[in-house]
Amino acid sequence: MPLPRCALALANETGHASNPGSALATVISLANFDDSALVREAQAGNRAAFEELVHRYDRDVLRLALNLMKRTEDARDVYQEAFLKVYRNLHRFRFECSFYTWLYRIVTNVCLDHLRRRQARPEDQAPELHATQQEEAGTDFFERQREQRPTLDPERHLLGQEIKRRLASALERLSPRERIVFEMKHYQGLKLRAIGDALGTSEETVKNSLFRATRKLRNELGELR
Amino acid sequence: MNPSAETTSCAEIAPLLVFYVCDELTEQERAQVEKHLAVCDECRAQLSEERELHGALSDQASAGDLLDPSGLLLSQCRSELAERLDDLARPPVKERVVGFSWMRRWMVLHPAWSAATLVLLGLAAGVQSTQWLSASSDIATIEPVNVRPSPRFTEDQLSKMEVAGINFAPAGGSGSQNVRVQMSAEQPVELSGSLDDNDVRSVLTYVVKNGERFDSGVRLDCLDALKARAADLQVRAAFLAAARKDQNPAVRLKALEALRDSTSDHDVRETLLDALKHDSNPGVRVEAVNLLVRSLDNQSVEIFTVSEPAPPMVQVGHLPPAGQIPADESLRNVIRTLEDLQGSDPSRYVRLRSAAALREINARNEQ
Repeated sequence: MPLPRCALALANETGHASNPGSALATVISLANFDDSALVREAQAGNRAAFEELVHRYDRDVLRLALNLMKRTEDARDVYQEAFLKVYRNLHRFRFECSFYTWLYRIVTNVCLDHLRRRQARPEDQAPELHATQQEEAGTDFFERQREQRPTLDPERHLLGQEIKRRLASALERLSPRERIVFEMKHYQGLKLRAIGDALGTSEETVKNSLFRATRKLRNELGELR
Repeated sequence: MNPSAETTSCAEIAPLLVFYVCDELTEQERAQVEKHLAVCDECRAQLSEERELHGALSDQASAGDLLDPSGLLLSQCRSELAERLDDLARPPVKERVVGFSWMRRWMVLHPAWSAATLVLLGLAAGVQSTQWLSASSDIATIEPVNVRPSPRFTEDQLSKMEVAGINFAPAGGSGSQNVRVQMSAEQPVELSGSLDDNDVRSVLTYVVKNGERFDSGVRLDCLDALKARAADLQVRAAFLAAARKDQNPAVRLKALEALRDSTSDHDVRETLLDALKHDSNPGVRVEAVNLLVRSLDNQSVEIFTVSEPAPPMVQVGHLPPAGQIPADESLRNVIRTLEDLQGSDPSRYVRLRSAAALREINARNEQ
């Protein structure tokens, strides 16, 4: 959808509108347009259009970074590095794929770099999440199972905790590429084809990575089942 | 494998179960798996395990949810990114010196004291600077280095340029000319400036040197503009090239005229001799004769001084006797060439002018 100039003019220059009324008009206008129109505007130097693109996808980007890096500082670095790369290279985007795919390609490359650097420094491994953080989540499968029952099942609760611990540990041992594929599939809910596009590889390769990752996790949990 | 699963084996189905659970199979594969599962207990058990794992993963809160449950981190990231983008968008600004703000404030509050202080500071600076200047006068003894700005036009651009026209205008006050060149070097350019300007000089020199690419009128204008700079080695080299190679006799003639004050130079004299022998235009040959005679003016004096007590005698139509031949080989060449010309040049005027030149040389030598 083409973007009307009058709407974008409100948010030009630094991306900040001159008054609250125009700011509202800008937000409404920009939010209604598709990625391609926003990318074109951003390529022409419209900062507001670029920020709209960022806000459209940065939640998923940060989530992926957190899932992969397991540390807020690292995830923050990945976020900044990825979006600054997007900003600096946006003029090279030729609409040969969707902006989303292109963005994820950059993000996954940044994540892979960070993970590889981290693997090269064993002392710099991400710490496991604190137990209280896990408790706070309150979305544990076995917890919910327990609540549905009339009586508590302490053995099952302990088993659930052990499964979680082993899964986290097994995920750390996956290769960076397997890990990214696994995270993008299970926590981002992306289709294998989209993951392949983002990683610049074939769907078949992604399938193999996911299969290997799942088998490793199953082996890790094998004796508990 | 269950014997009733006829079409596909468990080995084929087992790898597909992972993707069956996460809905990544094609319709055909899905139908194949379901058909097999309907009859195979082992694969159904394996599917159940896959689902259990998948369920455990799905129910496990991701690190993303745990580490940023309130979205605070996302807000921080957005804010940091906006700052970085501001930095990128902002043109680099020189840092201002803010250390003297206290002084400004004091000066505003005490105008009379400020004025007195400034006068005293000015006096002190004046006295100190005169002492410093006298102390550093030996700087003048250091040989100055000629620093020139880098040329605007590269050799490549010059090789592609086209010159549409040249205009001259007297420069205010200095007496030198201002040259304005309308040209295109990748894009239309109007170059304006005196001959002291490197770019102007290099463009004009290039035109003179590479005459075949430019209009003869433009070449003549360039020669006109540059003739005052014949002492410059590059300009002189361009004149020599034009005098030898230019297709247009008027340009060759003007190039020789421009070399009038440089005839003592060996290359110039060689070019004149060359023109004398080989130039097809009689006007050019006559100009070469004139310039060669002129070139001998100073030299003959030197020769006589060298060959005293018996000054060499040059006779019309004859080489001087062996003992009286000038020491300078090029002078002998001039005389020999003039003798050839006076006898064999197709142009009567050239023959006459050569004979007159020889007489002139002879007369000078007799004095």
